[in-house]
Amino acid sequence: MSPEQENILEAHGVTKQFGGLTAVNDVSFAIPQGSIVSLIGPNGAGKTTFFNILTGLYKPTLGRVAFSGKNITAGRPDKIMALGVARTFQNIRLFGTMTAIENVMVGQHARMKAGLFGSIFRPPWVRGEEQRVRAKAAETLEYVGLRSGVHDQLATNLSYGDQRRVEIARALASEPRLLLLDEPTAGMNAQESESLTRFMQKLRDDFGLSILLIEHDMRVVMGVSEHVTVLDHGEKISEGEPQAVRSDPQVVEAYLGKQEAERQRAEQEGAV
Amino acid sequence: MAAASLPAAQPAPLRAVRRFLSSYGLILVLLAMPVAFGIQDLRTEGDLSRLANNLLDGLSNGSVWALVAIGYTLVYGIVELINFAHGEVFMIGSFVAAGFFGTIGLTAATGGAGLVLGLLLTLVLAMLASGVLNTMIERVAYRPLRNAPKLAPLITAVGFSFILQNVGLLWRGGSQQSIIDLVKSQKELFNVFGVSVTNGDALAVCVTIPLVLLMTAFIAKSRLGKAMRATAQDPDAARLMGINVDTTISATFMIGGMLAGAAGLIYALYQTTVWYFQGFTAGLIAFTAAVMGGIGNIRGAVLGGLIIGFIQQLSDNRIGTQWTPAIVFAYLVMIMVFKPSGLLGEETREAG
Amino acid sequence: MPELPRNVRIALTVAVIAFGALLPLFVEGGGGFIDDATLALAYVVMALGLNIIVGFAGLLDLGYVAFFAIGAYTMGYFGSLFHINVNGGEGLHVLVAGPAAELPGIHANFLIIVVLAIVATTVAGMLIGLPTLRLRGDYIAIVTLAFGEIVGRIAINGDEIAGFGTKLTNGRQGITPVDKIDLPFSEPFTALNLRPWYWVAFTMVLIVLFVNFRLRDSRLGRAWIALREDEVAAVSMGVPLVKTKLLAYGTGAAFGGVSGAFLGSYLNTVNADQFQFAFSIFILAMVILGGLGSIWGVVVGAIALSFINNRLIPDVLNDVPERIGLDFDLTELSFGIFGFLLVIMMILRPEGLIPERRRQLELGEGIEDLAKTGDDDDPVYQARVP
Repeated sequence: MSPEQENILEAHGVTKQFGGLTAVNDVSFAIPQGSIVSLIGPNGAGKTTFFNILTGLYKPTLGRVAFSGKNITAGRPDKIMALGVARTFQNIRLFGTMTAIENVMVGQHARMKAGLFGSIFRPPWVRGEEQRVRAKAAETLEYVGLRSGVHDQLATNLSYGDQRRVEIARALASEPRLLLLDEPTAGMNAQESESLTRFMQKLRDDFGLSILLIEHDMRVVMGVSEHVTVLDHGEKISEGEPQAVRSDPQVVEAYLGKQEAERQRAEQEGAV
Repeated sequence: MAAASLPAAQPAPLRAVRRFLSSYGLILVLLAMPVAFGIQDLRTEGDLSRLANNLLDGLSNGSVWALVAIGYTLVYGIVELINFAHGEVFMIGSFVAAGFFGTIGLTAATGGAGLVLGLLLTLVLAMLASGVLNTMIERVAYRPLRNAPKLAPLITAVGFSFILQNVGLLWRGGSQQSIIDLVKSQKELFNVFGVSVTNGDALAVCVTIPLVLLMTAFIAKSRLGKAMRATAQDPDAARLMGINVDTTISATFMIGGMLAGAAGLIYALYQTTVWYFQGFTAGLIAFTAAVMGGIGNIRGAVLGGLIIGFIQQLSDNRIGTQWTPAIVFAYLVMIMVFKPSGLLGEETREAG
Repeated sequence: MPELPRNVRIALTVAVIAFGALLPLFVEGGGGFIDDATLALAYVVMALGLNIIVGFAGLLDLGYVAFFAIGAYTMGYFGSLFHINVNGGEGLHVLVAGPAAELPGIHANFLIIVVLAIVATTVAGMLIGLPTLRLRGDYIAIVTLAFGEIVGRIAINGDEIAGFGTKLTNGRQGITPVDKIDLPFSEPFTALNLRPWYWVAFTMVLIVLFVNFRLRDSRLGRAWIALREDEVAAVSMGVPLVKTKLLAYGTGAAFGGVSGAFLGSYLNTVNADQFQFAFSIFILAMVILGGLGSIWGVVVGAIALSFINNRLIPDVLNDVPERIGLDFDLTELSFGIFGFLLVIMMILRPEGLIPERRRQLELGEGIEDLAKTGDDDDPVYQARVP
């Protein structure tokens, strides 16, 4: 078996420049099928930029991205979504004036066929499709734990936690094979983060999903991921198993600054 | 390597063509008309004096557009709003000037010092009137909507534009009105190599250049100018730094309006007609100029104004005045499509 | 009206339709009221078209008049003496009866012309939409405005452009007379009895309403609203940007074309002076007065403004300035009044008289704004999406 059949997503030498600034520099990266991997790094490290490249929102200056063996470099975002890559956003981007269930129905856009005339004349197959999609949306909302009482509320009126849930449901409803989560635990307390961690594992087990996670909360990262990649100033500075990455001096330095890193190292040496 | 087997994103030559077009395409488009007519002149008349005359007339027209365009660019730079009513502010400036000539008794016979003094007084008045009007519009129609979706103030701007047109209509009726030719604008002042420089040309340049210089200096040096630039960069940060953002925005509208008022005076003297509808076309031409130069960029607005003045003059002179608006709008669309950042525009917001 | 129970809604709808359909029987068939009502219905069709572009998809189109013009010229081209020399002065006749069948020029059946108008305006709508796809909201407004003005200019000066033995337009003279509507199984329409015209317009409104409701609650309608709300999120959820926006432009334009063709015939002239920026704003004001995206709101807004413009200002209130001692004609002020209305509505009640269920004015911003609203992890906020 060639390696790309085991990896659901591969990025090779991805670089993104904005004017003179290099936001992502020569990052290669792979997500093994069915795994949960994390992308970490300090603020401004280029994690979200990298996400946006993977989902087609940005065109990389250099490099290639392949999803299950298919080249998706600079593909249109909607097409990449249709192939099976779904995402959430760091600062929740729901369609505020649509209801929760409508939001999730939009997530299934790529799985629907009704066009202009189908929408106007609404033949039986379109009716059937609408019903199916609505039922699926409701089911997905239940799955992520949204009470059925609020399915018809406008997204803006939902609580923060529910908005996060709807966003995940919206991504899930498209039946993706790879789910990209951009800081899903932002603004959550320890207990909520904990349950989200379990939820991610459940997702993987229930749907055979692969998950890529951008995360700041180290407990979540360490608890859930099989593989961690660290970006700093747009460059990959470390990758590997969570424990190994955590003790990598370069990573400590990126997070804590040089002085602090040296102090810690000295302490450790002293202890030995 | 798996990567090697992936097809390339885009063939290199195509990318090179694209890059070339995105950098120089606009300049090529802008050169098309002058070059075509230049070649035509050389073949039919043997020299370029007609083109040079077009260029000169274009520059004096263009200096009016430049003054109006600065108003667009300043306002856009600071509140990211296309001040659609700006053309009407310019029109009101013209009307105030034209009305004031009579009030202070300027006639075609007034000469020398009296004329200069009278015109200076009119200039100040037109500038004040337009400036105050523009500030008032901001206060009434835009400020309440500062946190609304971005297109809401654009809609009120369109609304105000209609209101002001109606004011103009009531003030001076529905048809073009000729006003006294105070400076004998078509009289030749001097002639260089077949290029005739008229009083009107001289007036346009003599008012525009000092005003533009004065204003750039003001924005670069004065405290208020610095506050304007800071607010344009980041209103929240500016507020935290103790800058009164409301006052700064009002000042920006004031300055933009004053320049439009000055442009209104020049227009009235140069064209010797005023019309309630003059602001609509002028506004769109000047907006085109501002976008062409790179919105938010003052030098760009001046450059864009001069270029669009030239294009307009070429079209007036060679194709027909009735087609000029369509041609200017076609340029507007092309710029928007191919290079929305304009000639001198940087990708960032800035006012200075 | 989703807040009402289903059977009440149905009863209300039936009542409104019955009232609308029977109304002409209770008024004079050649009178002013039915004339106003017919015009109002034609404007409703346009306003509902613009509502798809502005209200649903959030694309502020300031050049809607272009579609009025194209629809009307389609009527003029294929239903008047305009191409008087065609076929050696014999004329071309396609499924027409009555007086038009004897005249020179091209004369096609009204239904054929409507189809042609739909095709022409859909194509025009998409062509105008194309350059705006990647632009921010305010730039979209200006580009569509510029297109509207270009179309208007071509209409006015089109008598200078000639080819294939005909002029492009008749300029300010206008194309007149224009064929009266001639439907199968009915007498040719006349200017004396306006009831048939009214019923045609009323049928158009019903069809357009049906299409509007169906589209709003469909995959396409959700995609439009999603794009309006958040372009970046929408494309990330699988909504194709180009196709979805172009469908909005095309559909919205088609309604303008249908109404334009109807008005060409009804007003008996295709006059270039009709096609001005002010008309685009007139229609936009209807949409905003009623409530962006709100189908019933837009219907009410269109009827209200149409009556204000055609009856209230010229007839009822016109002597008010005189009575209070002012010397001007109120009709001169009509567009100032609409401008004032736009300002007032935006400031005091931006959601309109009958707000959309969603109750929020949300006009889309371009995809380039991804950067501005971008996630704070991005080191650079000035990215363009391919």
